Amino acid sequence: MSNYFVALVLGGFFGFSLNKAGLTKYNKIVNVFRFTDMAVLQFMMTALVVSMSGLFALRGLGLIVFPSIPSTYIVGNTIGGLIFGIGMALTGF
Amino acid sequence: MKFIMNYIRKETWSPYVAGVLLGLVGISAVWISNSLLGASGAYENIAGMIGKAVAPKLFDNMYFNFIMPPGMTIAVVLLIGIFFGGMAGAATSRTLKWGKKESLNSDGQWKRIFGAQTWKRWALAFIGAIILEYSAGIAGGCTSGLAISGGMLLAPAAFLFIAGMFASGILTALIIYRKNY
Repeated sequence: MSNYFVALVLGGFFGFSLNKAGLTKYNKIVNVFRFTDMAVLQFMMTALVVSMSGLFALRGLGLIVFPSIPSTYIVGNTIGGLIFGIGMALTGF
Repeated sequence: MKFIMNYIRKETWSPYVAGVLLGLVGISAVWISNSLLGASGAYENIAGMIGKAVAPKLFDNMYFNFIMPPGMTIAVVLLIGIFFGGMAGAATSRTLKWGKKESLNSDGQWKRIFGAQTWKRWALAFIGAIILEYSAGIAGGCTSGLAISGGMLLAPAAFLFIAGMFASGILTALIIYRKNY
Protein backbone atom coordinates (compact mmCIF):
# COMPACT_ATOMS: atom_id res chain seq x y z
CA MET A 1 0.00 0.00 0.00
CA SER A 2 2.77 2.44 0.91
CA ASN A 3 4.36 1.58 -2.42
CA TYR A 4 1.31 3.01 -4.19
CA PHE A 5 1.49 6.20 -2.16
CA VAL A 6 5.17 6.63 -3.02
CA ALA A 7 4.38 6.10 -6.69
CA LEU A 8 1.63 8.72 -6.53
CA VAL A 9 3.93 11.33 -4.97
CA LEU A 10 6.80 10.54 -7.34
CA GLY A 11 4.43 10.74 -10.29
CA GLY A 12 3.30 14.12 -9.00
CA PHE A 13 6.84 15.47 -9.01
CA PHE A 14 7.47 13.86 -12.40
CA GLY A 15 4.47 15.60 -13.95
CA PHE A 16 5.37 18.86 -12.22
CA SER A 17 8.89 18.89 -13.65
CA LEU A 18 7.61 17.96 -17.13
CA ASN A 19 5.13 20.81 -17.02
CA LYS A 20 7.67 23.36 -15.76
CA ALA A 21 10.20 22.38 -18.42
CA GLY A 22 7.48 23.02 -21.01
CA LEU A 23 7.43 19.45 -22.28
CA THR A 24 3.65 19.39 -22.16
CA LYS A 25 3.55 21.77 -25.13
CA TYR A 26 3.51 20.67 -28.75
CA ASN A 27 5.89 23.36 -29.99
CA LYS A 28 8.65 22.50 -27.51
CA ILE A 29 8.75 18.88 -28.65
CA VAL A 30 8.67 19.60 -32.37
CA ASN A 31 11.17 22.44 -32.21
CA VAL A 32 13.84 20.11 -30.88
CA PHE A 33 13.54 18.23 -34.18
CA ARG A 34 13.87 21.53 -36.05
CA PHE A 35 16.91 22.54 -33.97
CA THR A 36 15.28 25.82 -32.92
CA ASP A 37 14.66 25.02 -29.23
CA MET A 38 16.78 22.45 -27.46
CA ALA A 39 14.86 22.47 -24.15
CA VAL A 40 13.87 18.80 -24.47
CA LEU A 41 17.45 17.65 -24.89
CA GLN A 42 18.73 19.89 -22.10
CA PHE A 43 16.01 18.58 -19.80
CA MET A 44 16.47 14.91 -20.68
CA MET A 45 20.24 14.94 -20.52
CA THR A 46 20.33 16.84 -17.21
CA ALA A 47 17.92 14.32 -15.72
CA LEU A 48 20.05 11.47 -17.10
CA VAL A 49 23.31 12.86 -15.73
CA VAL A 50 21.90 13.62 -12.27
CA SER A 51 20.15 10.28 -11.80
CA MET A 52 22.96 8.30 -13.41
CA SER A 53 25.64 9.68 -11.11
CA GLY A 54 23.35 9.46 -8.08
CA LEU A 55 22.35 5.87 -8.73
CA PHE A 56 25.85 4.62 -9.42
CA ALA A 57 27.17 6.42 -6.32
CA LEU A 58 24.43 4.84 -4.19
CA ARG A 59 25.16 1.43 -5.66
CA GLY A 60 28.84 1.92 -4.95
CA LEU A 61 27.97 2.63 -1.31
CA GLY A 62 25.91 -0.55 -1.27
CA LEU A 63 22.64 1.23 -0.46
CA ILE A 64 20.59 0.05 -3.44
CA VAL A 65 20.33 -2.90 -5.78
CA PHE A 66 19.43 -2.09 -9.37
CA PRO A 67 16.03 -3.28 -10.58
CA SER A 68 15.94 -5.31 -13.77
CA ILE A 69 17.67 -3.32 -16.49
CA PRO A 70 15.68 -2.97 -19.75
CA SER A 71 16.88 -5.77 -21.98
CA THR A 72 18.62 -5.08 -25.27
CA TYR A 73 17.11 -6.23 -28.56
CA ILE A 74 19.10 -4.29 -31.11
CA VAL A 75 16.49 -4.60 -33.89
CA GLY A 76 13.49 -4.15 -31.63
CA ASN A 77 14.82 -1.10 -29.82
CA THR A 78 15.93 0.63 -33.01
CA ILE A 79 12.77 -0.05 -34.99
CA GLY A 80 10.65 0.91 -32.00
CA GLY A 81 12.59 4.15 -31.71
CA LEU A 82 12.23 4.87 -35.41
CA ILE A 83 8.43 4.47 -35.32
CA PHE A 84 8.26 6.35 -32.01
CA GLY A 85 9.93 9.39 -33.54
CA ILE A 86 7.20 9.66 -36.19
CA GLY A 87 4.49 9.69 -33.55
CA MET A 88 6.45 12.12 -31.42
CA ALA A 89 6.89 14.64 -34.23
CA LEU A 90 3.19 14.35 -35.13
CA THR A 91 1.62 14.71 -31.70
CA GLY A 92 4.16 16.43 -29.51
CA PHE A 93 4.16 13.84 -26.75
CA MET B 1 12.35 31.56 0.64
CA LYS B 2 10.61 34.28 -1.32
CA PHE B 3 12.94 33.66 -4.24
CA ILE B 4 11.97 29.98 -4.28
CA MET B 5 8.24 30.79 -4.18
CA ASN B 6 8.63 33.21 -7.06
CA TYR B 7 10.56 30.63 -9.03
CA ILE B 8 7.83 28.04 -8.52
CA ARG B 9 5.28 30.47 -9.94
CA LYS B 10 7.25 30.98 -13.15
CA GLU B 11 5.64 29.40 -16.21
CA THR B 12 8.74 27.78 -17.68
CA TRP B 13 11.76 26.92 -15.65
CA SER B 14 15.26 26.57 -16.94
CA PRO B 15 15.29 23.02 -18.38
CA TYR B 16 18.39 22.32 -16.30
CA VAL B 17 16.58 22.98 -13.01
CA ALA B 18 13.59 20.87 -14.06
CA GLY B 19 15.99 18.17 -15.22
CA VAL B 20 17.68 18.05 -11.82
CA LEU B 21 14.23 17.63 -10.23
CA LEU B 22 13.41 14.73 -12.55
CA GLY B 23 16.80 13.18 -11.88
CA LEU B 24 16.14 13.25 -8.13
CA VAL B 25 12.71 11.68 -8.74
CA GLY B 26 14.39 8.94 -10.76
CA ILE B 27 16.88 8.22 -7.97
CA SER B 28 14.21 8.09 -5.29
CA ALA B 29 12.03 5.79 -7.42
CA VAL B 30 14.81 3.22 -7.44
CA TRP B 31 15.87 3.88 -3.86
CA ILE B 32 12.49 3.89 -2.13
CA SER B 33 10.31 1.54 -4.16
CA ASN B 34 12.91 -0.28 -6.30
CA SER B 35 11.00 0.47 -9.49
CA LEU B 36 11.56 2.52 -12.62
CA LEU B 37 9.61 5.47 -13.92
CA GLY B 38 7.46 4.87 -16.96
CA ALA B 39 4.27 6.03 -18.58
CA SER B 40 3.41 3.92 -21.62
CA GLY B 41 3.25 0.61 -19.73
CA ALA B 42 0.37 1.90 -17.64
CA TYR B 43 -1.84 2.33 -20.72
CA GLU B 44 -1.17 -1.28 -21.65
CA ASN B 45 -2.05 -2.39 -18.11
CA ILE B 46 -5.35 -0.52 -18.34
CA ALA B 47 -6.00 -1.77 -21.87
CA GLY B 48 -5.36 -5.32 -20.69
CA MET B 49 -7.78 -4.84 -17.82
CA ILE B 50 -10.54 -3.60 -20.14
CA GLY B 51 -9.73 -6.22 -22.76
CA LYS B 52 -9.89 -9.11 -20.30
CA ALA B 53 -13.33 -7.96 -19.22
CA VAL B 54 -14.71 -7.38 -22.74
CA ALA B 55 -13.04 -10.02 -24.89
CA PRO B 56 -11.16 -12.50 -22.67
CA LYS B 57 -10.35 -14.88 -25.57
CA LEU B 58 -8.70 -12.21 -27.69
CA PHE B 59 -6.55 -10.97 -24.81
CA ASP B 60 -5.51 -14.43 -23.62
CA ASN B 61 -2.08 -14.36 -25.24
CA MET B 62 1.58 -14.22 -24.27
CA TYR B 63 1.79 -10.46 -24.30
CA PHE B 64 -1.05 -9.66 -21.95
CA ASN B 65 -0.47 -12.68 -19.70
CA PHE B 66 3.24 -12.33 -19.04
CA ILE B 67 4.89 -9.23 -20.50
CA MET B 68 2.24 -6.66 -19.59
CA PRO B 69 -0.01 -8.15 -16.93
CA PRO B 70 -3.29 -6.21 -16.58
CA GLY B 71 -4.34 -4.65 -13.31
CA MET B 72 -3.68 -1.70 -11.03
CA THR B 73 0.11 -1.78 -11.15
CA ILE B 74 2.47 0.84 -9.74
CA ALA B 75 2.80 2.27 -13.25
CA VAL B 76 -0.93 3.09 -13.31
CA VAL B 77 -0.70 4.89 -9.97
CA LEU B 78 2.37 6.75 -11.24
CA LEU B 79 0.41 7.84 -14.32
CA ILE B 80 -2.35 9.26 -12.11
CA GLY B 81 0.33 11.10 -10.17
CA ILE B 82 1.82 12.50 -13.39
CA PHE B 83 -1.59 13.82 -14.40
CA PHE B 84 -2.15 15.66 -11.14
CA GLY B 85 1.46 16.81 -10.97
CA GLY B 86 1.17 18.35 -14.41
CA MET B 87 -2.03 20.06 -13.35
CA ALA B 88 -0.35 21.39 -10.22
CA GLY B 89 2.48 22.72 -12.34
CA ALA B 90 0.05 24.56 -14.57
CA ALA B 91 -1.93 25.83 -11.59
CA THR B 92 1.11 27.34 -9.89
CA SER B 93 1.97 29.26 -13.05
CA ARG B 94 -1.71 30.17 -13.61
CA THR B 95 -1.87 28.65 -17.07
CA LEU B 96 -4.43 26.01 -16.08
CA LYS B 97 -7.37 26.32 -18.45
CA TRP B 98 -9.78 23.79 -17.04
CA GLY B 99 -12.90 23.50 -19.18
CA LYS B 100 -12.21 26.57 -21.31
CA LYS B 101 -12.82 26.37 -25.02
CA GLU B 102 -9.47 27.74 -26.20
CA SER B 103 -7.65 24.99 -24.33
CA LEU B 104 -8.94 22.39 -26.81
CA ASN B 105 -6.48 23.62 -29.43
CA SER B 106 -4.18 26.19 -27.93
CA ASP B 107 -0.90 25.88 -29.76
CA GLY B 108 -0.12 28.76 -32.14
CA GLN B 109 2.56 26.90 -34.03
CA TRP B 110 0.26 23.97 -34.69
CA LYS B 111 -2.40 26.25 -36.17
CA ARG B 112 0.10 27.86 -38.49
CA ILE B 113 1.25 24.54 -39.92
CA PHE B 114 -1.86 22.37 -39.98
CA GLY B 115 -4.74 24.86 -39.90
CA ALA B 116 -6.95 26.16 -37.11
CA GLN B 117 -9.58 23.37 -37.01
CA THR B 118 -9.88 21.70 -33.63
CA TRP B 119 -10.94 18.29 -35.02
CA LYS B 120 -7.70 18.06 -37.00
CA ARG B 121 -5.66 18.52 -33.85
CA TRP B 122 -7.61 15.84 -32.03
CA ALA B 123 -7.61 13.38 -34.94
CA LEU B 124 -3.87 13.71 -35.49
CA ALA B 125 -3.21 13.43 -31.76
CA PHE B 126 -5.24 10.19 -31.71
CA ILE B 127 -3.38 8.70 -34.70
CA GLY B 128 -0.02 9.80 -33.35
CA ALA B 129 -0.79 8.31 -29.96
CA ILE B 130 -1.58 4.94 -31.58
CA ILE B 131 1.82 5.06 -33.32
CA LEU B 132 3.52 6.02 -30.05
CA GLU B 133 1.93 3.25 -27.99
CA TYR B 134 2.53 0.61 -30.67
CA SER B 135 6.21 1.47 -31.05
CA ALA B 136 6.65 1.69 -27.28
CA GLY B 137 5.38 -1.88 -27.18
CA ILE B 138 7.97 -2.96 -29.75
CA ALA B 139 10.90 -1.15 -28.14
CA GLY B 140 9.97 -2.01 -24.55
CA GLY B 141 9.36 1.50 -23.26
CA CYS B 142 8.75 5.12 -24.13
CA THR B 143 10.68 8.33 -23.52
CA SER B 144 10.35 8.06 -19.77
CA GLY B 145 10.25 4.30 -19.36
CA LEU B 146 13.15 3.39 -21.64
CA ALA B 147 15.09 6.50 -22.64
CA ILE B 148 15.32 8.17 -19.22
CA SER B 149 15.01 5.33 -16.72
CA GLY B 150 16.94 2.91 -18.92
CA GLY B 151 19.54 5.55 -19.66
CA MET B 152 20.20 6.24 -15.99
CA LEU B 153 21.04 2.56 -15.54
CA LEU B 154 23.27 2.84 -18.63
CA ALA B 155 21.24 0.28 -20.57
CA PRO B 156 22.34 0.04 -24.22
CA ALA B 157 18.68 -0.34 -25.23
CA ALA B 158 17.95 3.23 -24.12
CA PHE B 159 20.63 4.77 -26.30
CA LEU B 160 19.60 2.77 -29.35
CA PHE B 161 16.05 3.97 -28.75
CA ILE B 162 17.10 7.64 -28.41
CA ALA B 163 19.12 7.42 -31.63
CA GLY B 164 16.18 5.95 -33.56
CA MET B 165 13.75 8.42 -32.03
CA PHE B 166 15.74 11.46 -33.09
CA ALA B 167 16.59 10.12 -36.54
CA SER B 168 12.97 9.58 -37.55
CA GLY B 169 11.69 12.57 -35.57
CA ILE B 170 13.94 14.93 -37.51
CA LEU B 171 12.89 13.30 -40.79
CA THR B 172 9.19 13.58 -39.97
CA ALA B 173 9.58 17.21 -38.94
CA LEU B 174 11.40 17.87 -42.22
CA ILE B 175 8.50 16.37 -44.19
CA ILE B 176 5.81 18.20 -42.20
CA TYR B 177 7.48 21.61 -42.22
CA ARG B 178 9.20 21.49 -45.66
CA LYS B 179 9.81 25.18 -46.49
CA ASN B 180 9.31 26.39 -42.94
CA TYR B 181 11.92 24.03 -41.48
